[in-house]
Amino acid sequence: MPPRLSRNSSLLPNASRRRFLQGSAAALAAVGLSNCRRTIGEAEPAPGDDTTASSEASGVLHIYTWADYTDDELAAQFTEATGIDVKIDVYDSNETMLAKMQAGGGDKYSLIYPSDYMVTEMIGLEMLTALDKSRLVGLDKIREKWKSPVYDPDNAHSVPYSWGTTGLLYNSEVLTTPPTDWNYLWDNRDVLARKMTLLEDVRETMGAVLSSLGYSYNATDAAELEEAYQKLLDLKPSIASFKSFGWQDELLSGDNLLSMVYSVEGIPVSLENPTFKYVIPESGSSVWTDTMVIPSSAPNVDAAYEWINFNLQPQVSQETVERLFFATPNGEAMAMLSQDLLDNENLFPPEELLAKCEGIAPVGDANALYDEYWTKVTSA
Amino acid sequence: MAQTISPSTVDATEVLDVELQNIVKTFGEETAVQGLNLQIRQGEFFGILGPSGCGKTTTLRMIAGFDAPTSGQLTIQGKSMHGVPAHRRSVNTVFQSYALFNHMSVWDNVAFGLKVKKFPKADLRQRVGEALTLVQMESFAKRYPTQLSGGQKQRVALARALVNRPAVMLLDEPLGALDLKLRKQMQVELSNLHQRLGITFIMVTHDQEEALSLSNRIAVMKDGQIEQVGSPNEIYEHPNTAFVADFIGDTNLLSGRIQQHPWTLTMASGLQVNIAPTHLGDGTPADISLRPEKIQLMAQDHTASPHNHANHHQGEVKHTLYTGPHIHCIIELTTGERLRVLQPNHIRYQPGDKVHVAWAAADCQVLAPSSSP
Amino acid sequence: MNKGVEPSVGFGKNFNVAAVQQKLRAAMAPLGLLGPAGLWLVLLMVLPTLLITELSLVPGLRPGEAIEGYGLLNYLRILEPTYLQVLRRSATFATGTTLLCLVLGFPVAYWLALMAPKRWQNLLLVLFILPLWTSSLLRTYAWITLLRPSGVINLVLSTLGLPTQSLMNTSWAVYIGMTYSFLPYMVLILYASLERLDLRLLEAAADLGANPRTAFWRVTVPQTLPGIAAGCLLVFVTSLGDFVVPTLLGGPSSMTISRLIYNQFLGVARNWGFGSALSMVLILMVSVAIALLLKYGDRNPDIYS
Repeated sequence: MPPRLSRNSSLLPNASRRRFLQGSAAALAAVGLSNCRRTIGEAEPAPGDDTTASSEASGVLHIYTWADYTDDELAAQFTEATGIDVKIDVYDSNETMLAKMQAGGGDKYSLIYPSDYMVTEMIGLEMLTALDKSRLVGLDKIREKWKSPVYDPDNAHSVPYSWGTTGLLYNSEVLTTPPTDWNYLWDNRDVLARKMTLLEDVRETMGAVLSSLGYSYNATDAAELEEAYQKLLDLKPSIASFKSFGWQDELLSGDNLLSMVYSVEGIPVSLENPTFKYVIPESGSSVWTDTMVIPSSAPNVDAAYEWINFNLQPQVSQETVERLFFATPNGEAMAMLSQDLLDNENLFPPEELLAKCEGIAPVGDANALYDEYWTKVTSA
Repeated sequence: MAQTISPSTVDATEVLDVELQNIVKTFGEETAVQGLNLQIRQGEFFGILGPSGCGKTTTLRMIAGFDAPTSGQLTIQGKSMHGVPAHRRSVNTVFQSYALFNHMSVWDNVAFGLKVKKFPKADLRQRVGEALTLVQMESFAKRYPTQLSGGQKQRVALARALVNRPAVMLLDEPLGALDLKLRKQMQVELSNLHQRLGITFIMVTHDQEEALSLSNRIAVMKDGQIEQVGSPNEIYEHPNTAFVADFIGDTNLLSGRIQQHPWTLTMASGLQVNIAPTHLGDGTPADISLRPEKIQLMAQDHTASPHNHANHHQGEVKHTLYTGPHIHCIIELTTGERLRVLQPNHIRYQPGDKVHVAWAAADCQVLAPSSSP
Repeated sequence: MNKGVEPSVGFGKNFNVAAVQQKLRAAMAPLGLLGPAGLWLVLLMVLPTLLITELSLVPGLRPGEAIEGYGLLNYLRILEPTYLQVLRRSATFATGTTLLCLVLGFPVAYWLALMAPKRWQNLLLVLFILPLWTSSLLRTYAWITLLRPSGVINLVLSTLGLPTQSLMNTSWAVYIGMTYSFLPYMVLILYASLERLDLRLLEAAADLGANPRTAFWRVTVPQTLPGIAAGCLLVFVTSLGDFVVPTLLGGPSSMTISRLIYNQFLGVARNWGFGSALSMVLILMVSVAIALLLKYGDRNPDIYS
């Protein structure tokens, strides 16, 4: 029996380090009680239904993914190239996706996009198929860092699709001394008094505090956690709120001066409005990877391989990045990106910094401690 | 029931409990009460009588303080009530619907007025006990209003008002919701209470029999104005207007012109009615009220009436109505008029019988000419 | 409903088919009315509650795990100061909101029911209830727009030269948000109760010497007590379980019991046993509230004839 892996995800579904639909859709997701579902294509089953797995990839491919990873154009391009219809459903958190897959509601999906830690967990739950590398084209284009990641050695079950970091987005006009590291928050708590937000994600926020103390994001030692808890508690009077989304209004209007954000949301803001700058703290932040996997319950495995290969094509990858704006692990695609994007150190941080960034990994039984500290922090 | 017959006019030396001077009350476009003048003596049982919509309840509500007069003066015990709200008047009301507090027990209901005035506990207990005994509801103290019958609620309402020993007690059609037997019984009780306590009672009712039997004096109202004020006897025997005559009891109304020397009323049909001397001039149009019980009915061949009445006429019995203690006969005179005559129930006439009617001149009440046709 | 005399069923050759049919119909009639709701209640409320009760008795149950043993550990954990604090906060929010709604809602309902021109009553009532037709989430977001340091309220205040407020992300903001959300319910329920108030009772009270204030406390309030109890109950129960407002408006110290339960099921902890125990405690809190308020609302069942 594989060891029990507890979740180490964030608290609210959307608190997980992912993007969401903007505006009111983000608000809906905030309640966290409903999936944002968006189905492209007809509701009626297309001819040649996916329940029959044929040797020829055909029929319909059901994909379960994050909201901003695919769009109509990508789906259209794929259908044009392969003749396979694509139906896309979206989720806003790994937990929601896992719950659905476990409950049996995900039997129609041939492709899903779990995040790094979720891949590890799903491997443990035996929910993923081992990938037949011979059927994949273009894996060699993946950058070195992602060739054999911690969460899935040798990419045995997953193909990395996108990645990003967590950092600080700040108002450079007011904060003339820019933040460079996590401790900036404590050092400048008077200036930042009730004008800063941290992520509403226990692992991200506690991880950041642990990092500021020199510990690992994935600490399990009770003493270290206690220290982090106390330090976070110390900062609390300056924190306006814990927000993973919806921080834009307050930051842009000047109510807040600094927000801890995910790169995929922070970088677009900084590009649109130079007043706001995104910075990855020097002592290291968290780095996440989203992957493509084929669940063991996938009905149309052939179509799934087609989709993966399609997305591995550098051309497709590059175009998608430029449209949908996330960092790709595809080395060749990167080379094809515009110089602006490549130069964007926020989007593609330098190697030394990237090396210091940790992926958030499962912490086993320590989860209970994390949860308890979080409860204490938010109810004090 | 002992009833003191009080003079209808009040002189200046008398103690007045309630006085209304030129009271007018309008509700928007509608005038409910116009130019009302009323003087109610201390300790009397005063009835306000009239048909629905005549303004009697409005008047009572103004005395209680629930509505303020649009103009005019209202004084209670010599003090002007202008600007004085209901809760500061030493007046208590028994409502038509009783308005008992159904979330309180009978005891608490009765004690309410005293509790509000922060009466000391021992005194309160005594007074409430007294009040309940007065209305014979002592054993119901713990009950709730919804568990009481109409008559019982009535008595609790009375006790609740009386316990405060107000200067003036107002009763708004208090017996209206009760059945006849209970009503008669309560009338006796009310009268007894009034006698015992000596408080001024002002009662509004549309039941003229009730007013007559209970009141020391009655004011008859119509369309917001007082038609007549007087003792029951006066109101009944000497009504001033056709309305009063007709509203109180039964009457025969005869219209015609006054003729002096001899004093008669000549009707259009030619019938001449002998009346007592009056102040109205010759040729003045006037009405007469003639009570049915004043008319003597005899068999046709009786020509001499034992009482030597001035008016004799022949007629025929048209209808008879048996009401138990009496028989009402409708007699048609040879001149065409129809008279209502009251007979004791043992004298039976049949329709078609030829009869002889007679009545005294003094029994013809000359009424003020009615303003409305 | 069968009125009139039911024919007897009879025996043997006197067997009365029509009578049997009539009796059956009579028995089935209430079932037809109660059936769907009853079924719904059992399936969607009773059974899940029983399931949660079972789960709560498994210490530290993770999803997908087999149940190995029962125990009260989950409940005992709730008694720890950390978690008691959360319960206390939820209860405080709920109680505070209920009182605020009552204090603010009663005058409004009073005015609507007894003082507003009759022609406008329905329209005014609809206007007041109108916010309920919008999503509570959107209403909460509206409050963010108002309460933000750069929000509308401060804009107005600074224009008038008055000091600005900084209520956003505090408990006060939560009270404001929740009171605003639930006030229409309170007003509606109080309105229904006040509308039925017999004004003659107030006249009687005045007649007996009670000034308007005394009449209010001694007559109006006791008479409308069932409405007050019902309104308080509704607001208390819904605000106890409210998720949205504390999260969006409460700032960093806004953990409530519903959020805590949520975290146990879908957060880092994934402790379904503990989450279930917390759910049971929430149900208990609600039940206590219902029992208390029903007692007040139903003091004398037969006084309202």
